[in-house]
Formats: sequence, C-alpha cells, structure tokens
Amino acid sequence: MIAAEVAWLCVLSPFAGALLSPVLARIHPKLRDYGAVFLSFLAALCSVMLIPYLFHPEKLPIESAFVWLSFPIELKAGVLIDPLSIVMANVVAVISFIIMVYSLGYMKGDPSLTRWWMWMNLFIGSMLLLVLSNNLLFLFIGWKMVGLCSWGLIGFYKNDEKKYWIGGPAPTKYTTPSHCGLKAMVVTSAGDVVMLGGMLLMYAYSGTLNILELYETSSIWLPEMAKSSGMILLMSILLLAGPIGKSAQFPLHEWLPEAMAGPGPVSALIHAATMVKSGVYLVARLVPIFFYGYWVAGCSEASYFFILIAWIGAITAFLAATQGMVALELKKALAYSTVSQIGYMMLALGVTGLTAHSLMGGFTSGMFHLVNHALFKACLFLCAGSVIHTAHSIYMNDMGSIRKYMPFTWIFMVIAALSLMGVPPFPGFWSKDAILLSCLEAHNYPLFLFALITVVLTAFYTLRFIGMTFYGKESKNVENLKRKGVHLGEARLTMVVACGVLAITIIVLGIFGLPLEHLLHEGFGYTLVEKLHLPVEHATEMPHLLVPLLSVISVVIGIVPAYLLYFSGKLDPAGMLEKHASLKMLHKFFWNRWYIDRFYYMFFVGGMTELFTRVPKYIENPLDKLYHEKVPAGLIALSSRVPRFIENPLDRFYHMKDGLGRVARISIPSGMIAIFSRVPKYVENPLDRFYHMKDSMGRVARISIPSGMIAIFSRVPKYIENPLDRFYHMKDSLGRVARISIPAIPGAIYSGTKRIRIETGYLGYNLIYVLIFYIGFIILILLIFLGVIT
Amino acid sequence: MIPILLQIIAVPLITSAFIFFARYKIAWKAGWLASIALLYTIALHFIAGIRVYQGEIIYEAYPFAPEVSMDLLYDGLSLPVGLIINLLCAALAFYSIHYVEHRIDVLYPEADERTRILYYTRFYFMFLLFPAAFFGVSLSTNLIQIFLFTELLTIPLYFIMGYFGYVERFRVALMCFLWAAFCAVCVLTGIVLTYSQIGTFEIAELSALSGNRFLTLIVSLIFLGFATKLAIFPLHVWMPWVHAEHPTCIAGLLAVYANIALYVLVRIIFLPLHADLDAFRIPIMILALITMVYGSLLTLAQTDVKRIAACSTVSQISYTVLGVAALTTWSVEGGMFLFLAHIMAKTVFFSTAGILVYITGTRNINEMGGLVARMPVTCMLWAFGCLMLSGLPPFANFSAKWIMFTGIFMYGAYGPSIVLVVAIMGIFAIILTFSYTFWSLKRIFFGPLNPKLANNDKIKDPPLTMSVPLLLIAVVSFLIGVYPKIIMDLFHSVIGGVI
Repeated sequence: MIAAEVAWLCVLSPFAGALLSPVLARIHPKLRDYGAVFLSFLAALCSVMLIPYLFHPEKLPIESAFVWLSFPIELKAGVLIDPLSIVMANVVAVISFIIMVYSLGYMKGDPSLTRWWMWMNLFIGSMLLLVLSNNLLFLFIGWKMVGLCSWGLIGFYKNDEKKYWIGGPAPTKYTTPSHCGLKAMVVTSAGDVVMLGGMLLMYAYSGTLNILELYETSSIWLPEMAKSSGMILLMSILLLAGPIGKSAQFPLHEWLPEAMAGPGPVSALIHAATMVKSGVYLVARLVPIFFYGYWVAGCSEASYFFILIAWIGAITAFLAATQGMVALELKKALAYSTVSQIGYMMLALGVTGLTAHSLMGGFTSGMFHLVNHALFKACLFLCAGSVIHTAHSIYMNDMGSIRKYMPFTWIFMVIAALSLMGVPPFPGFWSKDAILLSCLEAHNYPLFLFALITVVLTAFYTLRFIGMTFYGKESKNVENLKRKGVHLGEARLTMVVACGVLAITIIVLGIFGLPLEHLLHEGFGYTLVEKLHLPVEHATEMPHLLVPLLSVISVVIGIVPAYLLYFSGKLDPAGMLEKHASLKMLHKFFWNRWYIDRFYYMFFVGGMTELFTRVPKYIENPLDKLYHEKVPAGLIALSSRVPRFIENPLDRFYHMKDGLGRVARISIPSGMIAIFSRVPKYVENPLDRFYHMKDSMGRVARISIPSGMIAIFSRVPKYIENPLDRFYHMKDSLGRVARISIPAIPGAIYSGTKRIRIETGYLGYNLIYVLIFYIGFIILILLIFLGVIT
Repeated sequence: MIPILLQIIAVPLITSAFIFFARYKIAWKAGWLASIALLYTIALHFIAGIRVYQGEIIYEAYPFAPEVSMDLLYDGLSLPVGLIINLLCAALAFYSIHYVEHRIDVLYPEADERTRILYYTRFYFMFLLFPAAFFGVSLSTNLIQIFLFTELLTIPLYFIMGYFGYVERFRVALMCFLWAAFCAVCVLTGIVLTYSQIGTFEIAELSALSGNRFLTLIVSLIFLGFATKLAIFPLHVWMPWVHAEHPTCIAGLLAVYANIALYVLVRIIFLPLHADLDAFRIPIMILALITMVYGSLLTLAQTDVKRIAACSTVSQISYTVLGVAALTTWSVEGGMFLFLAHIMAKTVFFSTAGILVYITGTRNINEMGGLVARMPVTCMLWAFGCLMLSGLPPFANFSAKWIMFTGIFMYGAYGPSIVLVVAIMGIFAIILTFSYTFWSLKRIFFGPLNPKLANNDKIKDPPLTMSVPLLLIAVVSFLIGVYPKIIMDLFHSVIGGVI
C-alpha cells in the first residue's frame, strides 16, 4: 500500500506548501521561497516514485479511500493510481516543480511573493487532486480549484498597470489582467457547472461517483439510461462542456489567449502544461464508459460522445492554428498553439470510439501527445517568458535577432519548437504521427485531412515566432534598449536552468519516443482491455511509412514560406499583405480571431448587459412601484374615499350634518323630526279630539268619546226612561201614553172579564167545576193523611 | 441547574434585559457583554450538540396554556441551524462593536455622551432579541410557538432599522414591518385553519392533515406567507430595500431572517406533509428558478455595494428553495445545508460590504476600484464571500449545492422531464452568480486605485474586531465544506427518516 501513501503525500504536500507560505514568510522571505519550492519538489518526487508501477500494470489500479460522506450519498474520497493518473501526476508534478524553480528567478523581487507561492502551490495541489482523485466529485473539486487558481494567477498583477496589459497594439483593444482573469473565470465556469450537471445525471443512474465503480457497473446503468431516449446524448453534451471550457476548445476557447496576461510561469504551468490538459484527462477518464456503452452495450447515443469530441478537437486544432499564424504577441502565439495542440489530443480521444479497433491507438496517442506537449509547451513558454523579460515587450516585432543576446534560451526554444512542429525525432513528431495514424485507421478521412492541414499551419506559425523573435533584424525596441544601456542577455540562472532541464527532457523523450509510446500502450492496454474487458479489434495495417511521410511533407510545406518570410528576409511579410487583398482579408479575419471573440462580447456580454440593465427598468422598478407606491397609493385613495363616500354620508345620516356642514336629505335626525312633527297631527290631536271631542287647536272630532257618551245618554230618556215611565205611570213626562202599562192592567182585567163573560158566558160554570175539583183534591189528601186510604 | 435548551433561549433575553436596565452602568461595554453572552450560548449549543450527535433527542416541556405549550426540541435538524446562527450572531456582535459606534457618530453627530450611550446600549439590547428569536424558531415544537418567534424577529428589526439604518430608514423600516405583517396574516390563517381541521398545533401531529380537503389551501397560505420572507419573485421587492438600508452589522442576520423561513417550511410543511405535496413541487421549483435568474440579473445591474449583496440574497435563497421543493432526501438535506452555507456566506459578503462603506464612506461601486492595494484583508474577505456564494470548493456552499443538485437531478432523471430542464437551467444559473461576484470583486478591488480615494489616509483595513469574526466564519464554512459528514449525518437523522 506504499503507493497509496505516496499518492496521498503527493496531493497533500503542495496544499501544505500553500498554507505554510504565509507562516514561513514571517520568518524569512528566503525560507518562504525555498519552502514553497521544496514542497512542490516533494510532490514531484512522490509522483516519480509512482512511475515504476507503469512497468507493472498488473499491480494497478490501487485505490485508497476514506469515508467522506455517508448520508445521503455514500462517498469514499481517496486516490486512484492507475496508468492514466500516474502519467498525469508526473506531467503535473514534475513540470510544476521545474516551473517553480523558474519562478524563483522570474518573480524575484515581486512584492506579492507570498501570494504567488500560495497560489502556485494551491494550484499544484488542486491539479494533483484532480488527476489522482478516485471519484468524480473530488475530481470536480480539484477542477474548480485549479480554475480558481487560474483566475488568481491570470490577474496576479491586480493593479492592472499598463505594462501588464495584453492585446493591442492599437487599434486592437488592450485587456487588463483583472479583466482577463474574470473572462477566464466566467467562460470556464460556464463549462464547469454544465459538466457538474452531467456528472449528477450520471450519478442519478449509476448511483456512484467512484471512477472504478462507474466502469464496473456501466453494464447496469448505461442500458438503464439508454431506455430514456436522448438521456445519454444529453449526458454526453453536459459532460463535454467542462473539458471544452477548461481545455479551451471551440466554442469556449476564447478565454485562453487572454489568460496570457498572467506572469510567464503561470502561462507555462497552467495555461499550457497542466490545467488546460485536465479536460483531456477527464475525456480520457470517460472514454471507457462511452466506449463500453456504444461498442458493448449497443447504446447508439453513446457514439455522439466520440463524434462530438473528435470534431470539436479537429475544428479547434485548425481554427486556433490559423490564429496562431498572425499573432503578434509571443505568448499569444503560443496560446493559440496550445489551443490547437489540445485540439489534437481531443481529436485523438474522439477517434477512440469511432471504430471498434481505434480505442488503443487513439487513447495512447492522445495521452502521449499530452505528455510531449506539456514538456515542449512549458519549455516554449518559459523561454518566451525569459525573452519578454529581456526585451521588455510582449510583441514579437519588438524583438528580432535576440539569439545574439540569449544563446541558451534560443537553443532551448528551438528544440521545443522543433518538437511542436513535429520534426523527427523530437517527441512531438512521434505523438502527432500516432494521432494522424489513429485518424487514418479509423477511416475518418475528413478528420485526418483537418489534422494534416493543421500540421502545415503548425509548422508555419512555429517557425514564424522563432524567426521573428530570434532571427531577422534587430527591432527599434531592442536598439532603444541598447542605447539606454539596459542589460540584454540571459535571464537569471534558475530560469535558464529550468528551460534547459525541459529541453534536455524533450530530447531524451524524443530519442526514447517509440519505447515510451509502447510503454503507455501497454499500461493503458492493460487497464482498458484486461481489467475493463473492453473489446479491441486489430486494425488493418496501414503502410508503415505513409503517415510519417505525409507528416514530414506537411511540415516542410509549412516551413518553406515561413523560412522565406521570417528567416531569410527574402520576402517582406508586410509588403505581401499590402499586395494581395485576399491575403489581407484573411489576415484580418484571423487577426480578429474569426470574429468569434467579438461575437461573444457582443452577444453574451452585450446581451447580458442589455438584459440586466433592463431588468431594473422594466421589472424591478415597476414592481417596486407597484408594491410600494401603487398599492399604498391605492390604499390611500381608498381611505380618502372612505370619509367622502362612507364616513360623511354616515355622519350626515346619523347627525343630519357632517363635519363639513353639509346637510343630508335623509338622515336619522330629520327622520326623527319628521316623525315627531307628525305625532301631534296624526296621533295626539286625533286622540285629543277622540277623548275630548276637541283638540287644543279647537278642531272637533267626528267620532269622540264625549260625543259618543252624549249620544248614548241622550238616548236613555227616549228609549229607556220614557218607556219605563209610561209603563209604570201610563204617561211619561212628555205626556206620551203607553199602550201597555201597569196602571192600565186592572181596567183591562175588568174589561177583559166582562168581555170574556160577554164573549164566552160559561166562565161561572167553569169556576164551580174548578172549585169542586179543588175541594175534592183536598179531601183526598186528608183521607190519605188520616190513613183511610193506604 | 437550569435546563439547557431553556438557557439557550433565556440567556440572550436576560442579557438583553440586563443591558436595558443597567444601560448607563454598562455603557460601551454592552457590545462585549452581548458577545460574551452569545459565546456562552455557543458553548451550550456544543454541549447539547454532542448529546444529539450521539443519537439523543433533547426534549423539554414547559406547559404554557391549554392547547399551547412552550416545549423545546433539539434534534439533528435544529442543532446545526441553531449552532450556525449562533456563530453568526456572535460574530456580528463583535463586528458591531465598532460599527455601531461609527454609525451613531454619523447619524447623531450632536448627541452628548449620555445619549450616545443610550443609542449604543439600545442597539445591543435589541440585537440580542434576534438570537433569542432565532433559537426559539429552531427549537419550537408547535405552530403557535414558531409563529410567535418569527413575529418577535420583526420587532428588533424595525427599531434597529429605524435608529441605525441608512438614508431612507424610516420608510424602509415600515415597509419591512408591513411585509412581515402580510406574511404573518397568511401564516396565521393557515395555522388556525390547521387547528380547525386537526385540533392541535403540535408539529409532530401535523401529518394528520394528510388528505384533508383544506390541505391545499393551508399549504398555499403558509407558503404564500413565507414566500414573502424568502423573497420569491414577485414578492421579493422588499428585500433589496431592506437589506440595502439596514445597518450592515445586522445585514447578515437579515439573510438569516429571510432564509429561516425555509427551515420553518421544512419543519411544518415539507417534512410532515411530503407525501401530499406532489402538486406543489414543480410550480415552486419553477418559481425558485425564475427568482434565481432574476435575482442574479438584478444583482448584475447594481452599482450600490450593499445592494449587490442584497440582490444576491434574492437569488441565493431561491437555490435553497429549489432544493427543498424537489423533495428528495438529497435535495432537502442539501437545501437545508445550503441554507446554512448561504447565511454564512452572506454574513461574510454583506459585512464586508459594510466594511467598505465604513471605510470609504461611499456605497457606489464606481467610486471604488483598486482597493486591494490598501485593504488586502477586506479584499480577501470579499473574495471569500464571492467564492462561497458562487459555490466554489472548498467552502460549504459547494458541498451543499452539489448534494442538493444531486437530489434535483435524481428527481429529474426519473420524474417529469420538465424537472430535468429546471435542474439544468438551475445549474446554468450559477454562471450568473460567478459573473456578478467576480465582476464586483474586479470592480471594487482590482485595477488602479481610484484617484478620489488615493489621497485618503483613512483607507485601510478595518479594526480586527470587524475582520477577524468574518474570517472565522469563512474558516467554519471551509471546515464544514471540507468535511460535511457531521452536518449531513445530523440532517439525515431527521430528514432521512421521513422522506
């Protein structure tokens, strides 16, 4: 398990360096400088100690992890050692260390050295975390942190002094370091966050972020994912956005040229050798998954991953190379070259999945080119840093004939440039050759053609910047410097040594290019084929010399015009441009970076600015107005209507008059008054009259209690008193005579008896009979009483 | 021995009362006294926290009235919330020591010493109501209790704003109060309606509401109420005003004030009723997404350094809402985690804006520029704030956002495809955050020093009581971000068991 501990140490020591720098700075500045370099050396040492494992791939992969999170996602964070990570770790750590040594000289005397060492070590640590992490999350953490360091280091000259501006010369616009940093941050972040989306989508199906587990379980989750159509394609696009942004591939490549605002070592380390390769590394990590998906599991959408990345790589390689041909700033020319070369790597990795037999070829050539490019581009940038340091200008036309003053730098840079051009036997030749071969083996001729044309362009621009810098006539700027007595010569010792070490490594790698390629092939082959069981068919044999021959011919085609223009002085580049309008147009097109940058500024920056300036104007302020003016105003208006429409009318209704003195037509008081005033008329007076016959106003009632009583009393004599009077006394007081009356009864009886006797005549007899019966009855009763009759 | 949870709430209250009654005796030591009281509650949180981490749930019952009791509950969800808020309160109490004094000098230049002491103690006696109310909210077990404590928050907010705020402080204090009243009305209606249906205010029994015919109405009312607190578009308008005009020393607490509504929502709606909320998930997520993008655009448009922080709160809170609304274990736990991470970030960011205003005397970003040359520590703090807000590792915001978006993508991958669209757009919106944070950093601190400030000797880093607390918060965020396991374990012990 010693390898795992070494890997841990490799990751952690630069972080320790970053934390220690401010502490050491308190003790002594020298301690701080050497301490920082030492800790990066420790990382380099650790990574070199892992190299022996490349020769024994059967011992790999080694994983060492601890439980970092158990809920809601179980994640074991740790290191993964396999051929890919060993190669990457070495590229990162070793080149970092060399560049740290270089920056001892380059940054000497800078007032912000503590910050410098912190950022640099933080970067190295994050980059090692990125390549050695065993899971995608920590890879992403490293990924974001290198982006952060990149931002911090591009904008290292934070005060934006004019001498650190890049761009120009006028009328082309200048850009300040802090702006460049911001641009890099935003553009790469755009890719990063989208990539995070891709990773999360992958997690949603696979349930793991561990790289090895992702490989192992891809037979389960990839087919599951393929069930929803478009999902794998979506994941591919999301995942690729990150590498495209980070590795400055089309269409997110525009930040890298501006990233050159950082100090020389930063450009060399971050924007050439290591960070921009992390995209390539990630794609290489993902290749087995998609290869499995397409060629084994048969998910047709997985093929888009390869098609996309291959074409993006090819287009970027070509596009950036054309811009490199016209660049005027030395570091920008190298930056375009970096973009273009990474395009090659992406192309190689894209080719892996295009046919069933190109996996090994594409993978190895891509990674091999990554290693080579890291070396020679770091060397180029470091040399360029020295040259700019000496020439006090970023423009190549301010240099010229520098080789007289900086012979070592000249030699080292030429060595690296030859490697970049792909001149045999330099390492660049071997890897570029391998990439071309794998394109051809994949039978994808358009891609091959793009790659081949780019070889021509590469040769041209490489020779151009070498020629403009080291050959030709001395520029006015150099003459001025001489006149002022500025020392023109090699830069500080550490800088020269660092460049020299890189140059020597390049030569060594060139000599051992083929064995090294073989070693990588074996190592990757073991992981991909033996461990992951990816099917590898053998490619149809290509004619052995075809590709090298084509490649060399292309280089020569590129070299010839460049030599004539910039070395021999036989042709005048400016004159040529003036003469040929088409060339001039082409130059303008390339100079303006195909207008892509301008378009982005117009569309994204301009568009966003338009948008966000409109947001307050059209949404926020109106909403603010609505809530804090309209609604309160409405409420106030409403409340001001309350007195007018409710309160005052109510006031008037209850009180007849409101506070303003207005009078109501209908109100409770007036209603009451109306009612009260009617009370005498309709109730009191009639009642008065009814009871008293007349009211207080003298009006007489028709019906009233007195008149009723009078009427009743007045009828008493007539209907009761007088008749009674007559009945009792025969006549009343008025002299009227009653027909029937008590006094009249005896006369009537008498006259009646007479009349009865007269009329009947038998009354006397009848009386006797009655008497007889009466006496008889009495006797009968006496007899009964005496007991005679029982 | 007074029960520990009661102490957590009572200590700030008692200290507050003490400062009030002994104000002329304590005078300028009020700040230190308040800070020490809050350090003591941090210790209490730790003591209780250790017990909770070992799996215990602390419950203290205080019968208060029939139907309503003042019980206190301390579990895996309330522990991190209470503890982090306490850390922030303590840090801001230290930060305020200088800031409030400066504020009094600016606002009441003619005041004599006695009046100045009066104002100073007045600030601290009201300031301490915040932690008391926050702890009350986080420890509550029933709806009435939660409602009372959230309402308690508005009182110190109103007065501190009125006494110590910026230009339009009276208007904005009233505005803030009225919005809070609106929230209160909606929430209270929901609570009373709930009681009418299930006959209890206890949160633990809220799941009885499941399937009730008034459920939609209740959830809508309570969400509408808290949506104003959470500043969800289009109810966000108060936020930039209030955050911008407040004294910056409590601006961090304002972010808590707004964002703690999410905790309440999780406690009373999303956890007990999660099975019935399917219809709410997507609409809330879409609202949150709109607010995220909108808030970011709004932030980009600002030139007032305090408003940048204010508008970014609108956007950032919606991330947490997005996570919680997706209602998967990952997203709710991540959303709650992001809530904590965000309040830490916003405290650092906002308080640094306060330092800028304190030192330079201007709020306009165009009158700054190049300040890093004179104020490196402030620049670092602002940069930390930017990193935290943008969700860059290794700060807690990254871990939180990542866990949260995992949940949203989980829902998206297996749920309706619109969720996937929302998820991708949500993650895309982070680019805007990057833009506004790093752009502001560039405009304020980098480039040449603004000539207007060049001759001003006062432009230098603030006193240590202002910068060190913020640095410590950044360190806490860093530590939690590097090792989130403790917090996630705690959250999972509550949330994982439900959803």
